[in-house]
Amino acid sequence: MRSFARVIAALRNLLHTRKVETDLDAEIRAYVDAVAAERIAAGMTPEMARRTALADLGGVEPVKQAVRDTRAGTGIATIWQDMRFALRILRKSPGFTAVVVLTLALGIGANTAIFTLVNAVLLQTIPVNHPEDLVVLRWSAHKEPDSTGMSGFGDCTMRRKPGDESGCSMPYPVYRALAERRDLFADVTAFAGTADLNLAGNGQASIARGELVSGTYFGTLGVTAALGRPLGSADEQKGAAAVAVLDYGYWQRMFGGAPGALGRTIRLNNVAFTIVGVANREFTRLTPGKSADVYVPISQAKTLGFRWGAIDDPQAWWVTVVARLKSGIKRPEAEAAANLAFRNATMHGAKPAWKDTDDARLTLAPAQDGLSGFRRALGEPLRLLMAAVGIVLLIACANVAGLLLARSTSRERELAVRFALGASRRRVMQQMLTESILLSLAGAALGIVLAYAGASALAAFASTNGDQAFPIDVTPDLRILLFTMGVALASGVGFGLAPAIRGSRTRSAAEMSRGATESAPATLSASRRRPGLGSALVVLQVALSIVMLTGAGLLLRTLAKLHSVDAGFDTRNVLLVWVNPELAGYDKTHVLGLYENLQQRLSSLPGVMSVSYSSGAVLDGGLWTSSVKIEGQTSKQSVETQMMRVGPRYFETMRLPLLRGRPLGLTDIRNGPPAAVVNQAFVRKFLEGRDPVGLHFGPDDKDAPKWTIVGIAQDSKYASLDDENAPTAYVPLATGGATFALRTSTAPAASIPAVRKTVQDVDDNVPVMQMRTQSESIDRQLFNQRLMARLLGGFAALGLGLACIGLYGLLSYEVARRTREIGVRTALGAKRSDVLGLFLRRGLIVVLLGSAAGIGVAVGVTRLLASLLYGVKALDPLTFFGAAALFALVGLVACLLPASRAMRVDPAEALRCE
Amino acid sequence: MTQSQTNLLQGTLDLLILKAVGDVEMHGLGISRRIEHITEGTFQVKPGSLFPALHRMEEAGWLTSFWGESENNRRAKYYRRTKAGERQVHVETKQWNTIAGAMASALKA
Repeated sequence: MRSFARVIAALRNLLHTRKVETDLDAEIRAYVDAVAAERIAAGMTPEMARRTALADLGGVEPVKQAVRDTRAGTGIATIWQDMRFALRILRKSPGFTAVVVLTLALGIGANTAIFTLVNAVLLQTIPVNHPEDLVVLRWSAHKEPDSTGMSGFGDCTMRRKPGDESGCSMPYPVYRALAERRDLFADVTAFAGTADLNLAGNGQASIARGELVSGTYFGTLGVTAALGRPLGSADEQKGAAAVAVLDYGYWQRMFGGAPGALGRTIRLNNVAFTIVGVANREFTRLTPGKSADVYVPISQAKTLGFRWGAIDDPQAWWVTVVARLKSGIKRPEAEAAANLAFRNATMHGAKPAWKDTDDARLTLAPAQDGLSGFRRALGEPLRLLMAAVGIVLLIACANVAGLLLARSTSRERELAVRFALGASRRRVMQQMLTESILLSLAGAALGIVLAYAGASALAAFASTNGDQAFPIDVTPDLRILLFTMGVALASGVGFGLAPAIRGSRTRSAAEMSRGATESAPATLSASRRRPGLGSALVVLQVALSIVMLTGAGLLLRTLAKLHSVDAGFDTRNVLLVWVNPELAGYDKTHVLGLYENLQQRLSSLPGVMSVSYSSGAVLDGGLWTSSVKIEGQTSKQSVETQMMRVGPRYFETMRLPLLRGRPLGLTDIRNGPPAAVVNQAFVRKFLEGRDPVGLHFGPDDKDAPKWTIVGIAQDSKYASLDDENAPTAYVPLATGGATFALRTSTAPAASIPAVRKTVQDVDDNVPVMQMRTQSESIDRQLFNQRLMARLLGGFAALGLGLACIGLYGLLSYEVARRTREIGVRTALGAKRSDVLGLFLRRGLIVVLLGSAAGIGVAVGVTRLLASLLYGVKALDPLTFFGAAALFALVGLVACLLPASRAMRVDPAEALRCE
Repeated sequence: MTQSQTNLLQGTLDLLILKAVGDVEMHGLGISRRIEHITEGTFQVKPGSLFPALHRMEEAGWLTSFWGESENNRRAKYYRRTKAGERQVHVETKQWNTIAGAMASALKA
């Protein structure tokens, strides 16, 4: 009842402010009149009566304020009033406002941009119905299961530690056994991929990423079709027609979003598939970072030629299983029952995968966490970046706090007047905080715009330079807006609090008297305290930017080190071209002929000096190792060596020097006795420097071919630049896909169209899977370092700039405040160099203190970067020194400008100001 | 005026005002004088406490106000107790008697 009355009253107060105010004023004046009338009646003079009445009241305004404070809705009314006042104040100094808003926009924008990526990569939920009910099935055991093959597709983290193995690939029959548990799961699906499919029948042959899914896939996820129908259980049956469902984005890109795509026949790896549907638009992915172009029934794995996709083999571990819990069933109870079913299926068959002592277990992980995808690869850099932008925001806040402090000095008179009129300290603080928050909200609004642009650019950089193209959704959602609002409010209070507290301590009398003489002696003692806090804020900025500079410096030095690593071969002017004729139906006997033909045709292209091919590209992340036994080796055990199958002229094309013997030629590849070239590390490590030419080695299997070593190649890097040189054997390439390497005399990227045309001319069913230069490949491997170096470098520069502006501002303010003092000093005979020294010293002390603190903090935190560093220690003294020196240099300039202004102060002018 | 006179016990001001207004119509100064009178000069309510309390109680619905003519023919804002105000007198009187009784026996003990 009472609260209802207060709501009505609050509405009246808010809606009829003017009437309420005039009424209040009239009421209090009437009171004063009545008191005065009493006193006149008691014999006082009218003038005296009024004066004493007013004096007893203690002022009309404080009483009115006391009434206002008790009124309903007073909070809202004062906030509104404060906001309007703040806007008026800020409009009066547009320069100040612009600088502050821009500084905050950069700080808040950087945070929002990185948070957008964090949100997209780490936080966004799976875009399907009720993702919280989905679980991913995960096994763990002391050892890997006994299997005929184990394939992972990056859906979840595989752990490969002796004694502690886990993963989520399973045999298809195990999936079927678990899918029968309708008492636990509403639905269960298995899938594998994505796998590259050669897609023909829609223009030129191209590569599509195909996801092999069980018939229950769309049903389990609750994903409907935007067009046609999703895949169903019937599509998975033996003998069912080959059908496919397109991803919405792929349909838009490659089929122009035409409804006519429905019912069309496309050829995937040379098998005809009918398009029966397009998945709905919202369904962009299941696992973060993994998007498919086309979905085909998992039973087609064999038809598509995937040897790993053996549906009936209970020992082939290759499908990922996701289930939707039956409603009412809790995860732990489903897990216990599913574990039993899993052990039954894997350990009690004809060929058990584990023994009882292996402690094999099945766990049900929530799909949101369990399907980690690229979250694992990007998680760490993103967390580091989040910390970095947090530091940038701190610098920005310290900077703005410094500006506000300096400004609050010029507002002392205004504050003094407000105190004299009866404003309370709390009220003044609230008003000043409103100003700060208004500033930070304006900064946030601009920051969101900057963040959107920044996040888009970052996402584009990430998706074109990462190991694998992945989509990042940077559309601002509610979480991002809330985050930005939170950051804005926190920073508004953060940088506004100190100036507000200081403002609320203004002494009215002293400041009022200041009116005429701007630097009256009375205020000197009061304002002398001020630089303390101001300097501390700049010290903080210097320290934080030293931390940023050190981090960025370490990464830049890492990149420089990596780029100066000797790869062992000439990495410049090489174009890499991936082809896989087996996907277009070539069999082993014809592949070699195609490669010879391609090698010849590509060699005759203009600008191409030499062409060869190999089973994989080097410095592209791929690696093939094999265990072999070497003839004449003292120990009887087999050894692990890196392997590469190569075509003719490989060493010449890569400019990988041969130190002894001969390279592999056409006859070795066609039909000669198996020959091999090994590298120096191979000789050093396995043969203790003995002459290897003529020795034989091969897999530890009697029937396998034994290669004869015919030459020694110089050591070179294989998978990535930061690897040690490891033993490597080069053997002839006889079958499978290949990467062609073209040594060009000009920029290699220029040859791309001609290469594509040549491959098409030779056989337009053979798709070029991808093309990139060797340098691009290397850059992709260094993606994390490059991303971090760029961003940290940018943020460090931003921090440096802000800190120097802060330093400049502090000294400028100091010079302005002490103009008269400088005048007196100069008049009394101080030299100009003394004045210059006075201020330079002051600036340098701040820089030194900040640098010392910054280096101290940096020593503690740079080890967080350790996993990204190469050839540089986290405590690299040179980098630490460099960061401090860089700051000292730029800081000196920031100090020199105001200090030289102080030097030029004309004493006569300064003293005349009085 | 000593400090003790102005420091009204927390919560007693509302009751005093409601009591002072009684069933008649009064303006601010009248209420102040009436309180002084009925408490035999123990409580002198200053405008800085009186007006906020009047406005708060009006918003709570215990008092209503209207503009009228004062004794010396000036416009003044008059307050009158509402039905809710009367009920509040009973509630607060009861509360006060409980506290006063409790304090009295506590001091006697």
